[in-house]
Amino acid sequence: MLIPHPLLGPRDAQEFTYLGDAALLNRPDPASGTAAFCDYVYLRDNPAGTHRELWYHEYGDRSWLLVTRDTLSHEILDVRLAREVKTGGTA
Amino acid sequence: MTDLIPMAALGATPVRASFGPLTLTEEEGLTLVSLALPVGFDASVTEVPLPGPGGYAIGTTSVFWTGPNQWMIETRDLDATSRALAPLPDARTTVQSDGWVSFRITSEAGAAPLLDLVTKLVNLPADQLAPGRATRTLLHHLGCFVLRRSETEMAVLTLRSAAGSLWYVLSGAAARIAAQEAT
Repeated sequence: MLIPHPLLGPRDAQEFTYLGDAALLNRPDPASGTAAFCDYVYLRDNPAGTHRELWYHEYGDRSWLLVTRDTLSHEILDVRLAREVKTGGTA
Repeated sequence: MTDLIPMAALGATPVRASFGPLTLTEEEGLTLVSLALPVGFDASVTEVPLPGPGGYAIGTTSVFWTGPNQWMIETRDLDATSRALAPLPDARTTVQSDGWVSFRITSEAGAAPLLDLVTKLVNLPADQLAPGRATRTLLHHLGCFVLRRSETEMAVLTLRSAAGSLWYVLSGAAARIAAQEAT
């Protein structure tokens, strides 16, 4: 599988490590209680289809990527730098 | 002060070997400095070139991109580099020379043997291996920087503790290419 890195072009998936669901970017407020954190830490959707997920370019430029992938076909629909998604800018 | 004698990564003296058109040499006297700059820095205040993603500015002091807002500087004059970085007060630098080993690979028969060697070893698109490009990638499960300095010269950098493994891989692949060409 090739992952089209937004800065470096298509790169071998071997260079990346997989973290999981991109919902991890939406950390609950510390004051929101243990139930919210329990959901955040333990509960994940497991869709057969489009999935937003976090990949780390460990053997590359060490950036976090937000990859939108179809879990049925492994087609990659969109790749963005996680820090741009998080900050909403083009830092 | 104790008079210390620096050692090469694989023994008392730097290794060097030729395989047909390819020559592998461990680089001596290279100082590596990592540079990190905060988001929104002003590049115009320094003379140090800061290439974009995958870029490699080659000169007496060379600089390659290692990640967003991060670079590695290859220099033989640390004082001059420090002076050139002085206008960037927020720059974070670390001298990393003793953490890395660099093997220079040169070809006497144009770019072809070099490309044969590197396409055997790393899974990168050809444009990432053009002169003036530098890439961090996996090479035999080792994280390496692959730097293309010119048509006929490249360098591979890895952790100094893995120098033996990298030498084994590079020299083995170069020997096979030389053997193939000889037949």
